[in-house]
Amino acid sequence: MDKLTETVLSILAGSKITLEIFILTLAMSLPLGFFVALLRLSGLRPLAILMDVYIWIMRGSPLMLQLLFVYFALPMVGVRFSDIAAALLAFTLNYAAYFAEIFRAGIQSIPRGQYEAAKTLGMTYSQTMRRIILPQMIHRTLPPISNETINLVKDTSLIYILAMNDLLRVARTIVQRDFDMTAFFIAGAFYLVMTAVLTAIFKRMEAHYGKYDE
Amino acid sequence: MENMTNDAAYMLRARDIYKSFQDNEVLKGISLDVCRGEVLSIIGPSGSGKSTLLRCLNRLETIDKGSIEVKGEYLVKNGDSGLAEYAPQKKARELLGYMGMVFQQFNLFPHMTVLENLMEAPIQVKGQTREEIQPIAEELLQKVGLYEKRDAYPSRLSGGQQQRVAIARALAMKPDIMLFDEPTSALDPELTVEVLKTMRGLAAERMTMVVVTHEMTFARDVSNHVIFMADGVIVEQGPPAELFGHPQEERTKSFLGNMAK
Repeated sequence: MDKLTETVLSILAGSKITLEIFILTLAMSLPLGFFVALLRLSGLRPLAILMDVYIWIMRGSPLMLQLLFVYFALPMVGVRFSDIAAALLAFTLNYAAYFAEIFRAGIQSIPRGQYEAAKTLGMTYSQTMRRIILPQMIHRTLPPISNETINLVKDTSLIYILAMNDLLRVARTIVQRDFDMTAFFIAGAFYLVMTAVLTAIFKRMEAHYGKYDE
Repeated sequence: MENMTNDAAYMLRARDIYKSFQDNEVLKGISLDVCRGEVLSIIGPSGSGKSTLLRCLNRLETIDKGSIEVKGEYLVKNGDSGLAEYAPQKKARELLGYMGMVFQQFNLFPHMTVLENLMEAPIQVKGQTREEIQPIAEELLQKVGLYEKRDAYPSRLSGGQQQRVAIARALAMKPDIMLFDEPTSALDPELTVEVLKTMRGLAAERMTMVVVTHEMTFARDVSNHVIFMADGVIVEQGPPAELFGHPQEERTKSFLGNMAK
């Protein structure tokens, strides 16, 4: 096996953990973020304040610090996670806060008349949310969600501090071992391919949800 | 079938409705009756509380004091405390279900086609199947003259067309009473005509209607009864011929005089 192939295969192996973190974080933080947004808008003041504090902490401190906290500080008080669980917990909590703010703004941007029309037609709150508000909210929030999602791909590289062999860490190891920059270029290409695929997916979704204009 | 018909000559009765927003008292003891098949128009200057009154009738706003009866049953009445108490949720939903509403801003669902707008509530709320409701919805669209637009999204329609779809959407729920909140105020004059024509058609079919409007011609020609409101009270009311022909109160005279200009 020539050296280039070996490098590509190693980085490909490293991208497995990158993708795993990415997909699982997205799958958990999107629904969690939506739930937080609903609580935030629930009109129950203590809950709304609690959610505000949560969002403030998550957006107001570095993701790196949050990772270190979950990985190193929590075990000191007896809460212990596996590497991947620690990473997932930190990423999910952090991204859910950003998604919550995007969803909140999206929900609040839907005119009151939409709720009133649904109400006078006899629809319940959950029917109104599911059938009327959510589809319009998704349409409006896709561009910022797309942004955050692409950020997440790149943020996954932070797990190198937890000594997990993700795409970037593998590349760095090879570079340091061989004194050859090729691995960095290959790693860069991997990220670019992933974000290109995501961009294409979001474009299709925007076209799907944007078949009506407002 | 309609076991309420006998004693429910009154489709809608309101007694001494009071409503404040913070310190601002918007409705100061309003009472009204609407009989089956009757068209009631509510006119008055902006800020008179007429839209709030209409919104109170179907609980888009809750009242502070007073009572509202729908088809002989209480939606809300004064409790022991002297303040308004609403019927339990199940009963309230049933009574509110008798009423359909048309808004000034149409409020169509922009992410659904015209036909989907009509079919959404019957499917979700009444549990009707697509097969059941689609022919009814299409017939309603025929009636408002928009059958050929059934697959268009609302943004592709003119304001007048959107409002006719909104009327058809409310009718798809088979209401007994239709409430109109300034249905033509957001429309250009030439688009107003088509909406009023649709409403006249409904009145001719003996639909019970409560219409808040600035269209004096409509109020005069179509309604059985006209209420003139100002500053949260009913200043004057009566059959349109009397109210428009021989207004008694100064306030009414000056309002009608201004509208005629």
